[in-house]
Amino acid sequence: MLYRRVSLFLSIFCLCAVVRAPHRANADDWQPINPAELSMTSVPEAPGAAAVILYRQVDRDDNTDREYNYVRIKILTEEGRKYANVEIPFFKQSEDVHGLKARTIRPDGTIANFEGKPLEQMIVKAKGLKYMAKVIVLPDVQVGSIIEYRYNDQWNFSLVYNSQWILSNELFTKSAKFSLKPNSYFPMRTSWHGLPTGTAAPRNDKGVVRLETGNVPAFQIEDYMPPQNELKARVDFTYGESTESQPEKFWKSEGKKRNEGIEGFMGKRKAMEQAVAQIVSPSDTPEIKLQKIYARVQQVRNTGYEPEVSEQEKKRAKVKSINNVEDLWKNGYGSGGEITWLFLALARAAGLEAYPVLVSRRSEYFFTPQTMDSHRLNDNVVLVKLNGKDTYYDPGTLFTPFGILPWPETGVAGLRLDKDGGTWVTTTVPDSAVSRIERKADLRLTDQGSLEGKLTVTFAGLEALSMRLEMNNEDEAARKTYMENQVREFIPVSIEVELKNQPDWKSSAPTLVGEFEIKVQGWASGAGHRALIPVGLFSAPEKHVFEHASRVHPIYFDFPTARLDDVTIELPLDWKVNSMPPAHIDEGKVCAYSTKAENKQGTLHLTRKLSVEAITLETKYYGALRNFFQVVRTGDDQQIVVQPGASAAAN
Amino acid sequence: MISKLWCSLAQARRRTDMARSRIAAATALFAGTLALCLTSGAPRACASDAPGWMHGLVNVPLPEHDDKTDAVLLYSEYVLSIQANGKMKSLQRVAYKILRVGGKRYGLVVVNFDAETKISALHGWCIPAQGKDYEVKDKDAIEASLGVANGELITDVRSKLLQIPAADPGNIVGYEVEQELRPYVLQDDWLFQRPIPTGEARYTLQLPPGWEYKAAWFNHAEIAPSSVGNNQWQWVVKNVPAVKGEKEMPPWRGVAEQMVLSVIPSGGSQNRGFQSWDDMGNWQAGLTRGRRDSSPEIKQKVAELTASAKTPVEKMKAIAAFAQREIRYVGIELGIGGYQPHAAKDVFAHRYGDCKDKATLVSTMLSEMGVESYYIVINAERDAVTPGMPPQIGIFNHLILAIKLPEGVSDPSLVAFMDDAKLGKLLIFDPTDEMTPFGQLRGALQANYGLLVTPSGGELVELPRLPSSLNTTERFAKLQLDAKGTLSGDVREVRRGDPAVYQRYVLQAAAQQSDKIKPIETLLSHSLGTFQITKATVGNLAQTNLPFVYDYSLVAENYAKPAGDLLLVRPRVMGYESRDLLETKEARKYAVEFAGPWKDSDTFEIALPAGYEVDDLPPPVNADYSFASYHSKAEVNGKTLKYTRTFEIKELSVPVSKVDELKKFYREIGNDERNTAVLKHSTN
Repeated sequence: MLYRRVSLFLSIFCLCAVVRAPHRANADDWQPINPAELSMTSVPEAPGAAAVILYRQVDRDDNTDREYNYVRIKILTEEGRKYANVEIPFFKQSEDVHGLKARTIRPDGTIANFEGKPLEQMIVKAKGLKYMAKVIVLPDVQVGSIIEYRYNDQWNFSLVYNSQWILSNELFTKSAKFSLKPNSYFPMRTSWHGLPTGTAAPRNDKGVVRLETGNVPAFQIEDYMPPQNELKARVDFTYGESTESQPEKFWKSEGKKRNEGIEGFMGKRKAMEQAVAQIVSPSDTPEIKLQKIYARVQQVRNTGYEPEVSEQEKKRAKVKSINNVEDLWKNGYGSGGEITWLFLALARAAGLEAYPVLVSRRSEYFFTPQTMDSHRLNDNVVLVKLNGKDTYYDPGTLFTPFGILPWPETGVAGLRLDKDGGTWVTTTVPDSAVSRIERKADLRLTDQGSLEGKLTVTFAGLEALSMRLEMNNEDEAARKTYMENQVREFIPVSIEVELKNQPDWKSSAPTLVGEFEIKVQGWASGAGHRALIPVGLFSAPEKHVFEHASRVHPIYFDFPTARLDDVTIELPLDWKVNSMPPAHIDEGKVCAYSTKAENKQGTLHLTRKLSVEAITLETKYYGALRNFFQVVRTGDDQQIVVQPGASAAAN
Repeated sequence: MISKLWCSLAQARRRTDMARSRIAAATALFAGTLALCLTSGAPRACASDAPGWMHGLVNVPLPEHDDKTDAVLLYSEYVLSIQANGKMKSLQRVAYKILRVGGKRYGLVVVNFDAETKISALHGWCIPAQGKDYEVKDKDAIEASLGVANGELITDVRSKLLQIPAADPGNIVGYEVEQELRPYVLQDDWLFQRPIPTGEARYTLQLPPGWEYKAAWFNHAEIAPSSVGNNQWQWVVKNVPAVKGEKEMPPWRGVAEQMVLSVIPSGGSQNRGFQSWDDMGNWQAGLTRGRRDSSPEIKQKVAELTASAKTPVEKMKAIAAFAQREIRYVGIELGIGGYQPHAAKDVFAHRYGDCKDKATLVSTMLSEMGVESYYIVINAERDAVTPGMPPQIGIFNHLILAIKLPEGVSDPSLVAFMDDAKLGKLLIFDPTDEMTPFGQLRGALQANYGLLVTPSGGELVELPRLPSSLNTTERFAKLQLDAKGTLSGDVREVRRGDPAVYQRYVLQAAAQQSDKIKPIETLLSHSLGTFQITKATVGNLAQTNLPFVYDYSLVAENYAKPAGDLLLVRPRVMGYESRDLLETKEARKYAVEFAGPWKDSDTFEIALPAGYEVDDLPPPVNADYSFASYHSKAEVNGKTLKYTRTFEIKELSVPVSKVDELKKFYREIGNDERNTAVLKHSTN
C-alpha cells in the first residue's frame, strides 16, 4: 500500500494539488496573445468580476513526479490587481519549484517581464518539514493588463499520491486544459463530479488522462450551502490495489476485507458473553437490553474526545494498545470507533441481530458508491434489527442519545458488512420533533415596559448533542457563559440573563435543560398613549436568514429541527389589552410556522412553533424558502396593543 | 521585541487575495501537522526538573483575579545586558499558573526573531500539580512566519513556537528564552501590564561602564530602580491588574502600563535611544535620505499627469490619484525595510509598494512640481499614541504625508489641514487609502498623533479633527402605505466621507455584479421583515471626489400591522443608530472610542392609505450630550406621516465617567427606533 504510506503527507498533498501547479517539461513558450483578450473589459459570463482566468493548464506525470502549471489572468478592475501577487507553496526538502517565469502584458500589448529572482518565504518549519512559498510580485499591473506565469514542480518523495483537479476557482475560468499521466505501477481510478455544462468527461488518450473545460463559474460561498467538496467541479484520481471497474464488485471485495478486520476485532465471544451478563438480565426485552448495553459502553472512557496530549504525557499515562473488544472492555478505554464495535459485540452476545455499518459523514462529502473510494467510508455505526426494524446506533460519538445518530451520519448511505461483502443501507434521519429547542418563559411586564422572569430552555436530540460536544472540554464557567449567550442570541434586543441551574453536560440524556432568570429591557415599545408588545420574543435567529434575493447553491441544513415557544406575560395590574394579533398558521411539507396570542385576564399567553424538516433543497426552491422566512419575520413582528395604566403614565 | 511594518491599514484590507488565501488554506491544513507536532510527536518532553526560579513560584499567592481569568502571570523577568560594542543579550523568564481550560494557550510559547534578534536558547517547563516536571527545548520548537498569515506578502520576521506539555488547569508552565540583539535603535519597551493579572514582573538592565539610560513611564507612576550590581539596575512591579478587552476601547498600547528605556552609550555614539521626538525624526530622516530622488521617468510621468491640470490643486490631485489607484499595495518587509522605504524610482518602475513606498513616490512627484512634503509616522488606530508617550518606534505602524501647499493655493475640497509652528499650513494625505479623496482624512487618522519628520528633526503632532458634517449618511425616502400594510416607494441614500469610503470598499470586493445589491439587502434586513428591492442603482462608485449614492425602490409587504381597527406603523422605516455595546454585566473600565466624527440624517415621508388618519404619534426625542446628540420627530403633514431624525457624534472618545450617559443615550435611541404610530379609520 505504497500510496498510503505517508497518509499525513497525502492529505497535505491533496490540498497542494488543488492550489498549485502542475508540470510539463517541454512547455517553454508562452501562449500567443489574443488581441481580443487584450481589449477585453469584461466577460459576459462573469459580470462585475475583478479578474478572470483566461487560460489554465495543468500537466502532471506521476511517473516522473513532475507537474507543470500555467495560469493567464485578465485584470478587469483595480481590485483584480491583487492577483498579481503570486505565491507558490512547496515542501523544501522534498519538492523543487523551478522554471518560474512570469510577465505582465500591458493593455497596449507591450510586455513587462518579471526579471527578478523569486523570493522564498518560509511559512512553517518543523521536525524535518520545511514548508515554503516562492513569491513573485508582477510589475506594472494595471486594469486591463494580462498577467501570466508558469512553473514546474518536481517532488522526490518516491511515493505516489492521489491527486485532484479542482476546476472551480475563486475566479471565472474561460478555458483550461488538464492532463495526468498515471503511475504505471499502481492502478488508478478516475472519478469526477459536477463538471461544468459542456465539459466532456476525462478521456484516456494513449495512457494520459485529459480534460478540457471552459466557462467554469467562479465559486461562491453562501450561507447554508452543502460541503464545498460537493459543489466544486472536480476530478479525483485515486491509487489503489484494485483494478475493479464495476462498483458492485469493488464494494463486495472491499466489504469482505473490511468485515474480516472488524470481525477479527470483535472475535472474543466468550469474553463478551461474560461482559453482557453483567449488564443485562435475561428477562429484559430486546430494547431494554440494547439500552442497557448502550448506556454501559458509553461509560467507557472515550479517548477520541480527550484533548491532545504530548508524547511524554501519553507515556506517563501508560496507555495500552487496544487490539480487540476484550482489551477494550478490560482496560476501560478506547477510541470512539472501537467503542462502537464493542457495542456491536455486546449486542450480539446478548442475542440481538446486529451488523457493522460503514458510513460516510455528509459534513465532508455526499457519498456515492460509484466513486469506489473506500476512504470516504470514514465512520462506523451499528445496525440492530429491533422489532423487525432497522435501527442505528453510534455510542462511540460522545453524548449521542440512544436511538439517534450524530447528524453527519444521518440520512447517508452505509455499507452493512457481512462475510459476503455486504449490502447498502441508508441511515435514518430523525424528524424535527426529535431535535428541537423548547423555550418556556414565565414573565411579567414592568411599568417601564421591561420583561422579567424565568425562562427554561430545553435542547433536545441533535441540538443537545451539538452543544455537549462543543463544550465537552470546557469548564463550568465557560459552559455557563455559553448557555447564557445562547439565550442572548434568541432575543432580538439586549438582555440581562443568568443561568440558575447546573445543566447535565456530561450525559447522553435526550435533553439538556437550562433554567434562567432574564430581564429584557424596554420590550414594550411606545405608540403615543398606547404601548405595543411584540409577540416574537425568541425571533432573533430568524431575523437575518436568507436576506439576499439571489442564490447560486442548493440550501443545506445539518438536520431537521424545530423551535417550540411558550411564553406567558403577566401585565401590570392596571394595564389593559386593546387588541391581540390573529393566530397565524403556515403549514408546509418542508417548513411550518404558527403563532398564537391569547389574553387570559391580564396574562398574555404566546405560543410559537417553527420547524424545518428538510436537509437539502434545490436552488429553485430558494425563493419559496426565503418567502417563508419573510412570513416568519412578519408573524414575529405582530404586536399586541395595550393601554398602560396610570402608574406607567407617571413613569 | 520585534515590531516593524508601518502598513497595518493596507494589510488589514488586503487579506483576501487569491494567492494569499492559497497560502492560508495550505497553512490551515499544515496547522493539522503542527498540532500533531506540537501536541504529540514533536515535543518529546523529558523528565528534567523545572529550574529553581519556577519551583520557587509553586506556593506564591496568586495575584488578584476573578473566576473568568484563564491564567495568571506568576512571574516575569527580563534581563537586558548591553556590551560596549553595542551588542545586546536578553534573557526572558516567564511563568504562568493555568487556572482554566482556556488558559492552555499560555502553554504555547511564541518568540519572534529575525537576523537582528537571534534566539540563542529556548526552554520550556511544566510543573504539574501532581507528578514529575516536563521539559521541552529549542529543538522541539517549530518555526513559522506568522506575518504571512497576517497579511504581509514577504517578511523576514519569524516565530518559534514551543508547546509546553500539560498546560492544564492547576499546573504551572514557564519558559526561558535568550536572544542576541542588534537593534536599530538602543531602546526597549517593557509592557508589564497584560490581558491577565501579573504577580511580579522584573526588568534588569546591565550597562557597560560609562553608559547611561533614561526611563520613561506611561500609564504608571515612575518607579525608581534598585542598583543590583555595577551599572546594573532593576525595576520591579507587583500585583499588576489585567487589561481586559472591551468593545471599542482604546488600543491596548495606549492604555497598558509600560516603561520605555533609552540607552545612551558613552562617547556620543549615533546609535542611541531616542531622547526626544526630534531624535526619532532625525533617525527617520536618515533612513529616507536619497529615497525621494527623482528619475527621468518620474519627471515625465508628472508632466504627463499634470499637463491638462489648470491649477496647482488639480495637479496635486492628479498625482495623488495616480498613487492611490495605480501603485498597488504590496507589503514586503525585509530587515530595515520594515522602516525604510524603497527608492521612489523603484516604486514607480514596479508600480507597487507599501505605505512608506507610496508616500515616498508621492513626495517625489510633488517635489517635481515644486511642492514640499514631509513624512508623518503614525499608528493607524487613534489613541495608540498619545502626547505623554515617550518617543519609540514600536508604537507606530503606518506612514503618510504632510504636504505644504504653495502660497496662495486654496480649494474648498481641501480640508485636512493642520498648522505647524515652523512649517505653516500642512495638508495631510494618506496615499495608501485608495478611497479617501485628496484633501480629506479618514476618521481613524483624525485627532491622531504622529511624528512629523522635517529636515530639522521631528515633532509629535496632532492631526486635524474634521467636522462631522464631512462624514454623513443622508437617507431620504418617499413611500406609500396601502390599507393592507404594504409599504412601497423610493429611497435615496447619499454618503460622504468615511461612510462613502466604506461602501466603496464593500462594493469593490463584490465578486460579481449581482453581489452589489447585497449591502442594501443586508441593511434593509435589519429593519424590514419582508421586502423586495425592485430597482437599485449605485451612483459615483468610482468618482471618489463625489458623494456615493444608492438609489433603490422597495416593496415591503405587511410593514404596517393591523391591530383590530387600527394600523400600526413604525415611522423609523430603516437604519439603526442604537448600540448594545454597554449592555454588559461588568462595569466599563475604559473609554469608548468612536471611529470618527459623523452625522447621519433620515427623512421618511409615508403617504397614508386612503381612509386612514393618524390617531397617535410617538413623542419627539431630543437627546443632547457633550459627546453626541440625537433628535427625532414624527409629525403629520396632511395625509403624510413624516419622520425626521439626526444623529451626530461630536467627540471621538467618551470617558468612563460618561459611559452611563452613553448607555442612556443608546437606550433612548433604541426606544425611539421601536416606537410606533397608530393609524385609525378616518372620520371624514
